[in-house]
Amino acid sequence: MNPALFAHTWRANRTRVLIVALALTVWGTILPIIYDSFGSAFEDIFESGAFPPQFTEFGGGDIFSLTGSVAIGFIHPIAVGLNLVFAVGFATAAIAGERQRGTLEVLLSRPISRRVMYATLAVAGALFVGIAVLGSILGSLIGASLTGRTAELGVGQLPLLWLNGALLYWSIGAIALLASASFDRLSQALGLTLAFVIVSYFLDVLGSLWPDATGLQPYSVFHYLAPKAILSGSSDATDLIVLGTVTAVAVIATLVLFPRRDIAAPS
Amino acid sequence: MPAIVTSGLTKQYGRAVPVHRPGGPHTTVVRALDDLTIEVNEGEIFGFLGPNGAGKSTTIRLLLGFLHPTAGGASVLGLDSVRDSVAIRALVGYLPGGIAFWDGLTGERLLDELADLSGRPPVRRAELVDRLELSPATLRRTVRDYSRGMRQKLGVVQALQHDPELAILDEPTEGLDPLMQFAFYSILEDLRRAGRTIFFSSHILSEVERVCDRVAIVREGRLVALEDIPSLLARRKRNVEMRLDGPPPDLSGVPGVSDVRIADGWLRCRLEGDVAPFLAAIAGITIHDLTIEPARLEEAFLEFYATDLIEAGHDGSGAGAATAPPEARTT
Repeated sequence: MNPALFAHTWRANRTRVLIVALALTVWGTILPIIYDSFGSAFEDIFESGAFPPQFTEFGGGDIFSLTGSVAIGFIHPIAVGLNLVFAVGFATAAIAGERQRGTLEVLLSRPISRRVMYATLAVAGALFVGIAVLGSILGSLIGASLTGRTAELGVGQLPLLWLNGALLYWSIGAIALLASASFDRLSQALGLTLAFVIVSYFLDVLGSLWPDATGLQPYSVFHYLAPKAILSGSSDATDLIVLGTVTAVAVIATLVLFPRRDIAAPS
Repeated sequence: MPAIVTSGLTKQYGRAVPVHRPGGPHTTVVRALDDLTIEVNEGEIFGFLGPNGAGKSTTIRLLLGFLHPTAGGASVLGLDSVRDSVAIRALVGYLPGGIAFWDGLTGERLLDELADLSGRPPVRRAELVDRLELSPATLRRTVRDYSRGMRQKLGVVQALQHDPELAILDEPTEGLDPLMQFAFYSILEDLRRAGRTIFFSSHILSEVERVCDRVAIVREGRLVALEDIPSLLARRKRNVEMRLDGPPPDLSGVPGVSDVRIADGWLRCRLEGDVAPFLAAIAGITIHDLTIEPARLEEAFLEFYATDLIEAGHDGSGAGAATAPPEARTT
């Protein structure tokens, strides 16, 4: 890892990191409050049959509990979108974006190997994602405290929940960095990564809402985000292993491919 | 030890797989650089000339390890361009053509960060910013607000601020006004005096002629000339124009004289090499006016590219990999 490059990357992204982490903290805070205020009203609406019963399965089922509400907060498109600012936005721009702007040329003319450059960007990206996910966890804790329901949350499980959330976005970030290191244009890297994320998210949501499509869920990285199971104390190490494996494969592929490829002149 | 050595350096893009198109199969191979063999001596200013697309930037990118050679190899300051590219970049200052920066930083902050990334203190920065007239107030502004010329000055400073052993400069005076170009040339002179090597690509012939010790001319990815500037100029034909009073001299058989044309009391011809035989031949002739235009690098360059110009005039196709280049002359 190159400390000077890391410092440069941190300085360039710290405001964004702060804003996203703050937004996720607010989002995490709101959900326990909503549950506390309207949870029983929502339950009545669902029990009246106004919505198909499959809707209650979103986010791991049991949406009428605090842990269920927090779990929904993790898988909700708003939270996913905010986390993707770094997992996809930062990661795809880190190499392909710099190359397209022409700044990669200046960076690579310094005595930094491509592997060190990649490792530095990967560590920086992992840190940004880690801080963002921490914002969600912190928000959930604040929300539970404000509503006096901290005991229902399972505070001891929060570190594992952080690891699960971080691993999901690290795996997406590693894929995004692989795309970023493989393409010359930001649009190509971004397009490919977003396609992967959207299809993956769609498969998981479809599987949770439509029983016939549950077989598709294991093909989605989002399937291995299990906040409800973790907070209930019934988590499965397989989720972490699968996400860790996806991350490791993408990292190794990038470490092999990036140093070997030609860096074309800026377009 | 030479600062740069390339041996049969070749870069090919694309694959040699036939692509079927109307009119028959084509291959997608582009030979950007073909069998380039040059040596750049330590302590010299070496000009690398060629029009856009001739292979200049490809050569530089191969030297710095951005690209991997298809064949051949290169060494920079005794280090292999592929194996030791990180070590090479620790010793080299590089100014890319059309340089881009992180625009949100101030000029000063940018130079600091680039010096940190270089891992060497910016020992020449104060002198460079002074000579290129980058004031402290300018350096406190964000790069986003810089003009093209100011960006180029910043590019020169970042390339040279850590006093590299070898500077590789791609079109360094692009965007600089004439005064700043002169300031830049004097910086290069000082670097040469300090024993630094400068490899600089350009298509501005007058500046190459002015500052370089030797020049390589590339055409369609191939070396067509590698000579010191005086030798190259000595072989150029000068244009001679004389206004006569009386019969013209007999210039047939005079060594170096060609293209003799006489009309309306004017004699025009071309003169190559030693001028003594020509002067001897016109001795005793009454001459009202005589102009011998000095040889310029432009003409040498145009001679090497004459084929292209003719082809472009006929079919407008410009350069193509299929055109056989003239045999390279090396000294």
